[in-house]
Amino acid sequence: MIRLWRILRLLWRSEPGAMWRGAALSVVVLLMGVALLGLSGWFITATGLAGLAGIGIAFDVFRPSAGIRFLALGRAAARYGERLLTHDATLRALTRLRVRLLERLETQSFAELRRLRGAVALTRITADVDALDGVVLRLALPVAAALLAHVAAFAALWALTSHAVAMSIALGYVLGGGVVLWRLGRATLGLSSRAERAMQALRQGAIGLFRGRREAILQGTLPRWRAALDETEAEARAAMDRLDAVDTGAGLMLSVIVTLVAAGVFALSGWLVAGREIDPALAAVGVFVALALPETLLPLRRGMAEIGRMRDAADRVLVDVPEAPPEQRAMPSAPARATAALEVRHLSMTRPGWARLLVHDLGFAVAPGETLAIRGASGLGKSTLLDVLAGVLPATAGEVLLQGTPLAAWPAPPLRDTLTLVPQRSALIAGSIRENLALADPALTDADARAALETVALADALDARDGLDTQLGEGGAGLSGGQARRLVLARALLRRPAVLLLDEPTEGLDPGTAARVLAGVRAFLPRAAILTASHRSAELASADRVISLESYIPNVE
Amino acid sequence: MARRPTADRLLSTEAIGRLRRAAMLSVAAGLFWPLQAMALAWGVQGWVSGADATRSLVAAAFFAGWGLLRAVVERMSARQCYAAADGVIHKLRQGVVTREALRPEGATSSAALAAMLTEKLAALGPWITRYRPAMLRAKVLPLVFIAVAASMSWPVALILLIAGPLIPLFMALVGMAAKEASAKQMVEVGALNSLLIDRIAAMPDILLLNAGAASRAAFEARADGLRARTMSVLRVAFLSSTVLELFSALGVALVAVYVGFSLLGVFHFGTWGAPLTVGEGVFLLLLAPEFFQPLRDLASAWHDRAAAEAVADEVDALTADETPAVLGQGGDAAPLPGPASVHLKGVTVRRGGAVLALPDLEVAAGESVALQGPSGVGKSTTLDLVAGLTRPETGVVEVAGQPLTDESADAWRARIAHVPQSVHVPDMTLRRFLDPHDSGTDMRRALERARAAEIVAALPEGLETRLGETGAGVSGGEARRLLLARAFLTGAEVVLADEPTADLDAATGTAITAALTELAAEGRTVIVATHDTSLAGALGRVVTLEAAP
Repeated sequence: MIRLWRILRLLWRSEPGAMWRGAALSVVVLLMGVALLGLSGWFITATGLAGLAGIGIAFDVFRPSAGIRFLALGRAAARYGERLLTHDATLRALTRLRVRLLERLETQSFAELRRLRGAVALTRITADVDALDGVVLRLALPVAAALLAHVAAFAALWALTSHAVAMSIALGYVLGGGVVLWRLGRATLGLSSRAERAMQALRQGAIGLFRGRREAILQGTLPRWRAALDETEAEARAAMDRLDAVDTGAGLMLSVIVTLVAAGVFALSGWLVAGREIDPALAAVGVFVALALPETLLPLRRGMAEIGRMRDAADRVLVDVPEAPPEQRAMPSAPARATAALEVRHLSMTRPGWARLLVHDLGFAVAPGETLAIRGASGLGKSTLLDVLAGVLPATAGEVLLQGTPLAAWPAPPLRDTLTLVPQRSALIAGSIRENLALADPALTDADARAALETVALADALDARDGLDTQLGEGGAGLSGGQARRLVLARALLRRPAVLLLDEPTEGLDPGTAARVLAGVRAFLPRAAILTASHRSAELASADRVISLESYIPNVE
Repeated sequence: MARRPTADRLLSTEAIGRLRRAAMLSVAAGLFWPLQAMALAWGVQGWVSGADATRSLVAAAFFAGWGLLRAVVERMSARQCYAAADGVIHKLRQGVVTREALRPEGATSSAALAAMLTEKLAALGPWITRYRPAMLRAKVLPLVFIAVAASMSWPVALILLIAGPLIPLFMALVGMAAKEASAKQMVEVGALNSLLIDRIAAMPDILLLNAGAASRAAFEARADGLRARTMSVLRVAFLSSTVLELFSALGVALVAVYVGFSLLGVFHFGTWGAPLTVGEGVFLLLLAPEFFQPLRDLASAWHDRAAAEAVADEVDALTADETPAVLGQGGDAAPLPGPASVHLKGVTVRRGGAVLALPDLEVAAGESVALQGPSGVGKSTTLDLVAGLTRPETGVVEVAGQPLTDESADAWRARIAHVPQSVHVPDMTLRRFLDPHDSGTDMRRALERARAAEIVAALPEGLETRLGETGAGVSGGEARRLLLARAFLTGAEVVLADEPTADLDAATGTAITAALTELAAEGRTVIVATHDTSLAGALGRVVTLEAAP
């Protein structure tokens, strides 16, 4: 709940001016609607009385009827303005929220971020952000506007009609309606997270069944998988049904309250009129206002029914937000001038979650301008080793020195400026080739970009399209596997790092292109220390030295 | 104007019946309002004519009574609608699962199918629960209210009549733009989400490039552009609802002014004989907003229909994908009796639009065969045909001396172990994966023979390690060896393997070749599709597939 409040503050604060204007217009809309019906009721009753009394000619018809027309037109205009303002402000605020989310994700560990790549996790995040647009539009604004409208209506009724009428309306709607809505919100808190969990389980189960259907058919286990999925669906349906029952139940209760309040106000006003304590026309104002005020109450039901979903989404979106910025490590003063760009001493490492060591007592040094190839069968830990060397994963024991300084002592920005890792699965982003390359260097010139593309033998293929302006789809869609691989390499080259770590850099390239690309990389970065991890011959052939990981596998016995 | 097919095709007869009852209940609830209004009007008439407080009490009691009834009937209608929507969505979900579970080669991705089952079909809910009742209310209630109003005062009926149909007229103008607008808006919101997903997926790379701030700034600029476009579209959409509200407000205002002037005696026209009373005036004023309400409800339900039609189109596209289902039901069955032999005779399969003819193949029980040939000749397809995963267009697949049919496929598969090129590792423990039918056999021996014992030893919790996306990963070569271990374990008499040594280093490839030859040496029928000459050489016979003429 606190997180929901924080989301509201975050959204509100990113556009406070527009939010307040929107809130003010919401109140104006409600009040004009209430006033329109109240004034009309007064007008009819008062004219009726004047007609009966035969003083119709003396009755000032023009001010009330002009007021009625003004309210009718003004309400529509205010409504239009309110919608535009609040939607625009919310959209802006949600963009800020998305940016905040990106900012927060940047502080997560690499392992966590790689896990997030699955389509399901991502859909979940976006669905959460979408769910939060209701925090302002369907919850905060309508609740605030309704309360203010009730305050204003109370003051007006207190002045115009009897105090008893004003009190009954305020108590009936604010207290009665408030209790019903509050109970609805409370009931949906648990229910909607149950429904959401069941729905996510259904999604996971369905993905599992569809991805594994070949396997299930071959094993003859499809009916069993199916039965499990049906069970999940039944659970989701039961939860949704319960939610609907609670929601429509609250709707029923609200209608009952509205009916009883209006009936009560009518009876009370009738009693006052009969006792000549109030003018019938003013009594009519109270009744018509009581009939118009539900317009403030009924729309709140939808927001309150969604509150559970919003809270859960807020919990997930804001979870683990580091309140303080991550600690900034100071670079140790004046690192000793080392001859090796990268040096590894007595390194042992393991895969995250594994008990067994992958590599034990590994040691080597790479000098600037030198190329070292690391070979080893798949599964031996070449990629894990590069992760450790890049400071993405911790080593179990031993030391990694980058330009003579322990890796752990490097603050992130200079570390990333000095060392660049190109993982086996690198992602591109939607946008132009130029935008993709500019991630490496915001001050990128077209000449630099072209040079990098020439180096990786990609310039010709792109020139056949729109050159640097060639647009890529999501995740770099529109390039072949080999082209994407080379664009990722070009992007890394533009960082001009002192140490370049390449994981299977020429995967998907034919041997001729692979050799050309590797030679180009060396020519582009003559002074860089380059480490490749591969079992392909192109990398091994172009290296100055080769280290086989097989020699460092710890004895299982 | 040509009628587009509506999303109604998704509704079952049962759901339509339920919705008809729900719509009738909702109309009935609407009809209570004139009764409530009458009670109040009669009470107010008493106020001006000086009746005592009892009359107000009676009026209030009638108003409350009708109102409570109306609330209860409304809820009944809403629950009926919900039940109808739940039934329709459940049935569609079951249909999709039943159909797609047996179509491993279908064109739609698993994630897209899962999205269809969850949020897409759920998007039908608002349309089912709102559209039909709103439609019936809009057809019946305004007419009833106009008739009632006309019985007291024809100018009021005329005001409503003019303001009412003007709404559909203006809606037609503004609504056409708005409908397109809401469709566009959906696209824009979708684009914003894709943009976010794209950035999150690239986050590790962005961090390695120290490009976090730059990437965020670029994201914000793009998102802001999307917002501007979305708002220009929303302006039109909001205009349509503003027009609606304007007419309903003006209608109420005009009725109030007309009634007021009539009561003052300024207007002398419009009633049938006697002049309008205060009570009648109040009644007409109470009726006016409710006259517009069904029209406004229908307008807001209109947008739900557009969303439902989009879902209906997707459901159609899914059923239009004519990828044939596998043979059989994928269920558990007693092994098919007969020799473990395979015979393909004159088989063709449909691949996309084209028909591919496969060479004949005869493999006797206990034989080990390597299928070789250029890519695309149909090696993998041949293995799928043998496993009953692909339906032949023409020709016969004969297994165990009899044609492979829907009836025999499950029983035949009970004798098969299939090692595909890319193994799907489901989200379950390794023990469950190796022993799907929970026979409780000791696995050590089988793992050793498949050269897979060290894979298990390296996993954090051994056989109890959870595999799959959320669990520990095994590499492609490891997964293939685990599947071979399963072949040893279950005693499958027919082993099918598709490029088992492709993309692997020499040591892993050798281990797999050794395991396959050991399976063959035990007298099992082994069919392997491979480019690997050393693996092919280790098997009993090499069959080179050539494109059939």
